[in-house]
Amino acid sequence: MDRLVNSIARAVFVFLYIPIIAVIVYSFNAAGTNTRFEGLTLQWYVDLFQDAALMQTLRTSAIVAVITATVAAIIGILFSLGISRYRGRGKTALIGMIALPLIVPEIVLGVALLSVFSATKLPLGIPTLVLGHLIVSLPLATLVIMSSAAMLDPSLPEAATDLGCNPWQTFTRVYLPLLRPAVVAAWLLSFTTSFSNIVMSTFLSGVGSTTLPLKIYSSLKTGLTPSINALGALLILLTLVIVLAVGVTQMRRILVESRG
Amino acid sequence: MTKKITLAAVGVVAALALTSCSAGGDDGPSTELNVYAWADEIPQSVFDAFTEETGITVNVDNFDSNETMISKLAAGNSGYDIVEPSQYAVQQLVGQELLEPLDHERIEGFDGIAEKFVNPSYDPDNQYSVPWVWGTTGLLYNETCTGGEEITSWKSLFDDKWSGKINMLDNMLASYIAGLQVNGYDADSTDETEIAEATDSLIEQKPLLAGYNSTNYGELVANGDVCISEAWGGTSTAKIVAENDDVHYVLPEEGGSLWVDGLSIAKGAPHTDAAYQFINFLLRPEIAAMATNDGGLASANADAQEHVDDQGLLANAAVYASDEQVANADFIVDPGSAMSFYQDGWTRVKAS
Repeated sequence: MDRLVNSIARAVFVFLYIPIIAVIVYSFNAAGTNTRFEGLTLQWYVDLFQDAALMQTLRTSAIVAVITATVAAIIGILFSLGISRYRGRGKTALIGMIALPLIVPEIVLGVALLSVFSATKLPLGIPTLVLGHLIVSLPLATLVIMSSAAMLDPSLPEAATDLGCNPWQTFTRVYLPLLRPAVVAAWLLSFTTSFSNIVMSTFLSGVGSTTLPLKIYSSLKTGLTPSINALGALLILLTLVIVLAVGVTQMRRILVESRG
Repeated sequence: MTKKITLAAVGVVAALALTSCSAGGDDGPSTELNVYAWADEIPQSVFDAFTEETGITVNVDNFDSNETMISKLAAGNSGYDIVEPSQYAVQQLVGQELLEPLDHERIEGFDGIAEKFVNPSYDPDNQYSVPWVWGTTGLLYNETCTGGEEITSWKSLFDDKWSGKINMLDNMLASYIAGLQVNGYDADSTDETEIAEATDSLIEQKPLLAGYNSTNYGELVANGDVCISEAWGGTSTAKIVAENDDVHYVLPEEGGSLWVDGLSIAKGAPHTDAAYQFINFLLRPEIAAMATNDGGLASANADAQEHVDDQGLLANAAVYASDEQVANADFIVDPGSAMSFYQDGWTRVKAS
């Protein structure tokens, strides 16, 4: 039984990682198509950085994702702290409302938002993209931070006040440090959700704000260039660096705490 | 204190909503142009040359399908000046009054357009669109895989001799081109019984298929995973044909079909002046040739052919199919109310 589970686990890992490895390998492929391998080249990386249109979409995606993730994290913190102290009726309903976009099909939200924005004459662009992406990433960010906030000792604010903290200091010196790992996780999760979003972006992008996934998806008609592999490889590298950086700081904290 | 932070958060969201870049709606000489086009069909080099000559900044966005583009325009307030619909999409856009009729007095160089794209069935008198690039739907096959046998007909896609080695495009209207023409009907049929017959053929064909794939079928054929595939001509197919001696692209003897993507002006375009300037710029033969030189697609401009660097492409059927090859090809036009026959049939094919 154990051996069976073991081999299934291995197979899953292979299945998950082979495409990623393939993208990296093919990004160095001298042949112009993915059909065969013809030696190594860095040409696609050169092409990639010279492709102004592709770089522009990358910039749009990055800007939208950073704003979305930051706003989602801020609202997530506020909502979580609020809801953990809230004792009134309708608490479940409130949580349900914020989690609702998780179960509503994204395409429905996209179409609905498009009609709202065009009815209000709000021009489509980065702001509408951010608003749309917020809807899908907010539940994720909030749920992550909320589970962390729920584990905080309810007597913390009292203790902090006792030690001379005003409410702002309680927030910055007690709550924020304690919630930090969850906030970082929520930020990263919202960032990736926004960065890779395609359904919302299809409806909400406007003049001059085509996002990277839209650009890649729309390239399918004329054929993907190997530069897309190069871009994929770079994004994987970037992700690895971020994950490692976050992982190392978390590890360091844990080590410091266990020593202290 | 938390209240202040909430207010700040609300403020950020509101500020975001307000700082949206406004697309100016002024008449007269424009300094900006908003283009909504298929990715890479108008090469970046064309936009760069236009900006250099006129000083007009061009914002380019891409869509993945005509349907996405139509829904964006239909929502209103899109801000686009130039859109690049395919032939059937022109009809749908005109039907929904989403295009500005073209003022041919303001257009120069239209004479260069190849005869087959002048006054086409989908757009009488080219009232709404100027053809830009075109291509065909045909057959891609691997000679090694078919044992040297030449493939010339849609019939091969329905032949159990190639069972498990056939690929169809994962696209409703494209699949029906083969389904209708193999039965001897026009690819733009609106007749219920004809479409039903095509549906039956497609259902019968399904067990013979390796799959429905419209993204990397070229690679499948080149690898020999698939021997014969229905295929769209154009950049990627041309590249596969050029790189693999045993892979060929042909238009079937039943006709195959033609697509053409043209330039239209969106209703309520904020920069009409720049839009006409852009259309005229793209009608110049040497600029039109850039669609082939930099984009790998066939230009609808006959005068552009002498400016094509790689004259070999003019003989490559995957790019420039010859006049005799396309003689029997049908334009796929908007099926109108017959669309539901296609959709019902396609659901049955996919569910079988």
